[in-house]
Amino acid sequence: MKLNNFKNISAIFILTLGFVSCSSDDDVIVIDPPVAVDFSGTFSQEDQMGRPGINTVFSATPDIENDFNVTIPSQQGAAFQSLFETQLANLHGAFGATYENNILGLDITTLTTVLASDVLQVAPDAPTTYFDGTNVLTGRTLTDDVIDVSLILLFGGQNGDRFNGQDTNGDGTPDLPILVTDGVSNSGETPSNTFPYLEAPHGS
Amino acid sequence: MNKIRKTNLYILGGLLSLGTVLMAADHIDAPAVVGSTADITDLYAFEGGNPDNTVFVANVQGLLAPGSSASFDENVLVEINIDNDGDLIEDLVIQAIPRDGIMYFFGPYQPTQTGLNSTINEDTQYLGQVAISTGANAITSEANGISYFAGLREDPFFFDSNQFNAIIGGMAPGGFNNPGNDDFDGTNVLSIVVEVPNSLLGGTFSHPAGTGVEVFNTWAEAKRKQ
Repeated sequence: MKLNNFKNISAIFILTLGFVSCSSDDDVIVIDPPVAVDFSGTFSQEDQMGRPGINTVFSATPDIENDFNVTIPSQQGAAFQSLFETQLANLHGAFGATYENNILGLDITTLTTVLASDVLQVAPDAPTTYFDGTNVLTGRTLTDDVIDVSLILLFGGQNGDRFNGQDTNGDGTPDLPILVTDGVSNSGETPSNTFPYLEAPHGS
Repeated sequence: MNKIRKTNLYILGGLLSLGTVLMAADHIDAPAVVGSTADITDLYAFEGGNPDNTVFVANVQGLLAPGSSASFDENVLVEINIDNDGDLIEDLVIQAIPRDGIMYFFGPYQPTQTGLNSTINEDTQYLGQVAISTGANAITSEANGISYFAGLREDPFFFDSNQFNAIIGGMAPGGFNNPGNDDFDGTNVLSIVVEVPNSLLGGTFSHPAGTGVEVFNTWAEAKRKQ
């Protein structure tokens, strides 16, 4: 028993020594202050995005994808617009088609010029939406169908429904591919109206 | 679909499959960031429950299975950039970086340097922090009218990315399916959410698309400590 008591006392003594490591010359025991949180250093860009899907759709090679992510928005237009225009033309060419001015009236050069600068416009004093039928590119909500909006702008032509599985020869089977919607809606998404808005994680 | 179109499609598929993994907002958008803790998956910006506020959501490390132990990287700074004059150069930044289970926020403030490299100004006026949420309960905090959240959430993104992959891979001449399949159903993501009074977000300019709506530009960056 005596031995055990001695062990306990030793433990307390060692513990106390730990706490007084920062003590000054007087008799007051000073506990170490919490270590200051370190935010020093330089942080260098690895990924960048404004609008959804821009890099993945328009960058045709891994090198372009990597370069796009480490290019600042003010330099993206000059560096990538022509590459993006070529890519959009090729995507149409694969279906035997050429780009048709879209529902916003944008030709292929203007559209890829707008999209190459990968930033999201946000309206602080107007409805915020990627596209709601009235307002265009004034933000992005958690339930905006950004994929369908993007597909319509890229492939929809002047009426927005250019490639939607139409049966053009009346034989009962589609002659045109479906390229203006991915067939997935936001029905499965039920964000909250209050902060932080996003739903609890699956499996929690 | 005639034979010529199919042939073109297969040729294009061969070209594109070299470069395109799958389109998913910005999930795994480039080889250098695929599977990395610096992979931004999505950026959202919308009017808050308080209409005088704007909410920014920056998500990283997507496609997490339920039960994943993924966590924010202490070497990765997530930066929300705001351009108030339309020159595509940030005038304000909001920075978020984790330390020991807490996400620290700086800004909005005017950075001392713009571009690819950033530092953190710890003396900026608007500072916040919040414990990182790992489960269903969302831990939030507020300071100076700014609300903060960081942690695991359901990924709100929805998309039939596999079918898109098939299309650009030349394997789906008919395009998308109706209905499609949401390949993000059941997946989680690491979210950073900050709701900021518009009065702290600086000025606006006329929308570059000519709609006449007053806007600012925003974008997200993930930056790694050197």
